[in-house]
Amino acid sequence: MVLPPNVSEADFNAALNEFRSAVGANWVFTSDEDVALYRDSYSIYWGEPEERVASAAVAPSKVDEVQQVVRTANKYRIPLYPISTGRNLTYGGSAPTMRGSVVLDLKRMNRILEVDEKRAFALVEPGVSYFDLYNYIRERNLKVMLDVPDPGWGSPVGNSLDHGAGYTSAHFRDHFGSHCGMEVVTPEGDLVRTGMGALPNSETWQEFRYGAGPYIDGLFTQSNFGVVTKMGFWLMPMPENYLYGTITVPRYQDLEPLIQEVSYFEDLGLLGMPSYGSPLGGGLMGPPAPALTELMQNGWPTADALENFVASQKRPAWSVELNFYGPEETVRANWQAAKRRFAKAIPGAAFQDGELLALPIPKEKEATQGDKPRLGIPALEVFTIATRNPINNADPPDGHADFFAYVPRKASAVWAAARVMYETYREMGVPPMHHPFSTPINYYSRCFIVATLVPTYRNAAKNAKSRELFGKVMDRCAEHGFGCYRTSPAFQDRLMSKYSFNNNALLRFHQKIKDSIDPNGVISPGRYGIWPAKMRGNRG
Amino acid sequence: MRQALLLGIVMSVSLLAQTPAEKDGKAVFDKWCTPCHGAEAPKRSMFVNGALPGTAALALKYQGRVPAVLEQRTDLKPAYIKTVVRHGLYGMPISRKTEISDAELDDVVAYLTENRKK
Repeated sequence: MVLPPNVSEADFNAALNEFRSAVGANWVFTSDEDVALYRDSYSIYWGEPEERVASAAVAPSKVDEVQQVVRTANKYRIPLYPISTGRNLTYGGSAPTMRGSVVLDLKRMNRILEVDEKRAFALVEPGVSYFDLYNYIRERNLKVMLDVPDPGWGSPVGNSLDHGAGYTSAHFRDHFGSHCGMEVVTPEGDLVRTGMGALPNSETWQEFRYGAGPYIDGLFTQSNFGVVTKMGFWLMPMPENYLYGTITVPRYQDLEPLIQEVSYFEDLGLLGMPSYGSPLGGGLMGPPAPALTELMQNGWPTADALENFVASQKRPAWSVELNFYGPEETVRANWQAAKRRFAKAIPGAAFQDGELLALPIPKEKEATQGDKPRLGIPALEVFTIATRNPINNADPPDGHADFFAYVPRKASAVWAAARVMYETYREMGVPPMHHPFSTPINYYSRCFIVATLVPTYRNAAKNAKSRELFGKVMDRCAEHGFGCYRTSPAFQDRLMSKYSFNNNALLRFHQKIKDSIDPNGVISPGRYGIWPAKMRGNRG
Repeated sequence: MRQALLLGIVMSVSLLAQTPAEKDGKAVFDKWCTPCHGAEAPKRSMFVNGALPGTAALALKYQGRVPAVLEQRTDLKPAYIKTVVRHGLYGMPISRKTEISDAELDDVVAYLTENRKK
């Protein structure tokens, strides 16, 4: 049995009894077998002393139960770790940041409180998954569309609070950016509603996010300043159609004008997430194509060598798929406008028309529909890149740790970040995934991601190597100003140490807030480097 | 035509023979398992064409020795199903009791094992 740090067994048992009174004995989990279900399946410390395992779990179903649990936690100084659906895999899953915390499992708080079709918003509790909300909308034939992240079993609340993103228009696929209003149990058990939720009799909680006074919602993301128990989200009105089309450009250096033109349409709000690719690369998250591996025998090629390589392969250097949502007249017109502008900007640009799909996709066609998240349909198909597949079949991983470097939206930065990752892998003696044709991901419209997935295992020796690689990638990227936006508890202190402007002023500010609003340090100690004063020591 | 008719009769009989646990188990399976272990995969995908993560992984693992689609298996044992759901396996993560209760897991086991003897 694991105990929370600095808590006696007697106090722990007294707290557990109060938790049982608050939520019912069936919903307090204390046996080794039950607590083990809260382990992070993808832990990079699996089975080692540093693995962040819970001491117990408590699963309330209502807000007042959450308040009671939080008050008890203060009384006995028990660290709580709230989770929504607990599916934040690669970023910690359902396991706490600090070993010995009690997981506050909000999965039973699974009420969809409102979906307003005409005003296009939803209000949900943390245990609601994207699958749940999608099914609710479809069963009632409501004419609104969700923006979903790749894994559909996540929670709109949890995903937004960890800065998750999706695929449709820029102002919906930033999931925190498209939220409107929240309800929070404070670390001392009070209840706060933000924005217009603070005004009694207001009907605009999900329509005007600011209310009056300081806007505080951002404080509850990637933090430990409260337990979010409700959140509103703006929804896209169901578009009549979805249209995609693919553009290819012939030369290596064409990536820069390609990005500029895509960004023009993106920033006008005319696109879903653009999808960059290279016919000469190796596919998303795959190893480099064989011809490219041969070219790179002596390291990163020169610009001239890359241009000559492209010419010799007789295939385009880059591609981008553009996605449009709206009435047929406007999506076709936007694609026509894109063709005109790209043809003028990039000599040799070629265009391939994609399908026009009427939305919503009929239920009977959903299973075989590709690219479900682009159409607002939750799925789990993304996991094909990390479960047993033809690339890893000899030694399938048990999980993965994702490193998403945020880099400027320009070709030179994409190449620089890919090269940093390539060099780091080589330095570590690991076959590089990155190469000069690695492409950016555009979840957030104003910034690119260059991503790598490091495998994790239920094997200490293999994980030690993965940790070294992951940490080195984080260090090298930070040296170049490429910041990672989200990471598992194992790396949160290290990540936040990189955001060090003015002697870590940002982290020091976070710590001051923590000390003020959570004096007993009961909510998620250590999350994103924010430790309560009594545990801070030399950390952070 | 005759084959279709026969298939229809066989399917009706098997539906009639379904126990309440199997029926409930199918609903749980559809919610929690089908997105990775279903029989139908998208033809065009930004990740891997024509593959669901669980079904594709099992196809690679078993190379046709047993069906890749769980609902077509006749060899699954209750203890094995429970172990995989509660402990995870490779990329498949652990499922907690607040997600799939013990009773629901029993129903899934019934759905995947009862009336499926070789």
